[in-house]
Amino acid sequence: MSPGRVRLGMTVGRALLVAVVLAVWQWGFLLNARYDWLIPDLLDPYFVSRPSEIWARFLRMACLVDRSGAWTIGQTAGFWGCLGRTENNLWIGTLVTLKNTFWGFLVGVSSGVVTGLVLGRWDLAARFCEPFIVAANSIPRIALIPFIILMFGLGDLSKIVTASVIVYFVVFFNTFEGARGVDRDHIAVSRLFGASQWQITTTVIIPSTMGWVFASLTPAVSFSLIGVIVGEFIGAERGVGKIIVEAEARAQSADMMVALFVLMVVGVALAMAIRRVQGYLLRWQAHFQKGQ
Amino acid sequence: MSAAAARARICVRNLGKTYGLRGREVHAVDSVSFEIFEGEFVALIGPSGCGKSTILNIVAGLLPINAGEVAIDSERVVAGHPNRQVGYVFQRDTVFPWRTVARNVGYGLELAGVPRAECEQRVARMIEGAGLEGFGDAFPLALSGGMRQRVALMRTLITQPEILLMDEPFGALDTHTKLEMHKILLEIWEREQQTVLFVTHDLGEALTLSDRIVVLSARPGRVKEICEVKLPRPRDAVSLRESPDFAAAFSRIWHSLGEEFRKGHAE
Repeated sequence: MSPGRVRLGMTVGRALLVAVVLAVWQWGFLLNARYDWLIPDLLDPYFVSRPSEIWARFLRMACLVDRSGAWTIGQTAGFWGCLGRTENNLWIGTLVTLKNTFWGFLVGVSSGVVTGLVLGRWDLAARFCEPFIVAANSIPRIALIPFIILMFGLGDLSKIVTASVIVYFVVFFNTFEGARGVDRDHIAVSRLFGASQWQITTTVIIPSTMGWVFASLTPAVSFSLIGVIVGEFIGAERGVGKIIVEAEARAQSADMMVALFVLMVVGVALAMAIRRVQGYLLRWQAHFQKGQ
Repeated sequence: MSAAAARARICVRNLGKTYGLRGREVHAVDSVSFEIFEGEFVALIGPSGCGKSTILNIVAGLLPINAGEVAIDSERVVAGHPNRQVGYVFQRDTVFPWRTVARNVGYGLELAGVPRAECEQRVARMIEGAGLEGFGDAFPLALSGGMRQRVALMRTLITQPEILLMDEPFGALDTHTKLEMHKILLEIWEREQQTVLFVTHDLGEALTLSDRIVVLSARPGRVKEICEVKLPRPRDAVSLRESPDFAAAFSRIWHSLGEEFRKGHAE
């Protein structure tokens, strides 16, 4: 089969699969009354909602339709009025979560890179710090969240700290390994050209280590999102995680599904963005070459 | 090369080197002495483990000395302080993978703070001379082993070092590519007349390139003999190998070297 036909077949197959899943989700439970061996009770819309309801709730939560079901677009007060009334609607929640993810990512990556480089190239300090790093790394990061909230409050700061702590270790270990593994001959080449220690650092050690750092960015961004969401579960005023726990408390499964879909879209978008940045920065590495 | 033999540029005297290896002392090199004169191409040949790369790295200032003395232009070589007039070419592929070909070649100029316009001009000339036109913006990943080694050679040559130290630079290449590299190197050397110390275990290579061959014994490396290579220059890397003089020189040194290779294996 030609690659074009394979691709077409894939697309059609995937679309069919999605359609089947959505259809079963929407109407499947109607069969439960008659064939409960086929459709288990767990698929009750009370728990899993159904696509039509989720869509309706999405429009409401995103302030796209008002209470009466009319579109708010075109109404002067409609959309903005709705946005202003609730302090944690879908838009604000998503933006807050994204903002905290971004800052957690940034703080975690930069501190991980700096300490990883220093300890990776300074053997004595690395040996000194080793037991402390092992100890700190052994604490499940999630267990720190209540402590972090106690210290930094229910606001955004505690989410940023949580995310950056999680991101930090991922990036730190990668950078550390990368900095230690810099090819000795590359350093020798630089030294033979009469490079100063600073020039060796900027022209050999950092670029060579960056390969490892960039490779850790994909897990780093998803860990950052995880950190923020879990932080919001445990105590927050705003954010997508907050929407999820509130929906759970009120048993509003449709609201929860809306939040989950938003997170899915956010996750995919972040991963794609990182992938693009990586593809450019690591274009000298084999698996980021074009056409591979 | 008697005309150029006025000034000794590299002077190795009673050089000794021992390594500590798992608490055991290993004698790598034992009282090695030789000189290399201005504009002379000298090959250092011997069985593996005879310390030829060790000698080269000591001359380059990459390794400390245990005994004896090494001087470049009558100045003692101190480990950790490489001489700026010395260019070094590694056996291993040491091209920076994160730099394009042009930025690899221009690395030395960049470190020296040469203005960008001049740097680009000189890089372009080097790339052309190496037959790498059109690959300036490519990353090393896209190049063959031979092309990468050419990039490494040009990276060393662009700073115009008067002394070249080469550690089996073509050891990892296939025969055809190797002969190609000999041609390029001979061309450059005929033009620029650098003083070269070239480590190899390939006798054909040593004969093709050098004026003199320093034959080292099996470990610990001692100078077994120093042979003059009286083949006429300019040399053609391919047709030279078909000449009877080449064959005669080859078989004479081959037997001397063969003994050492056998000892090296027996160890």
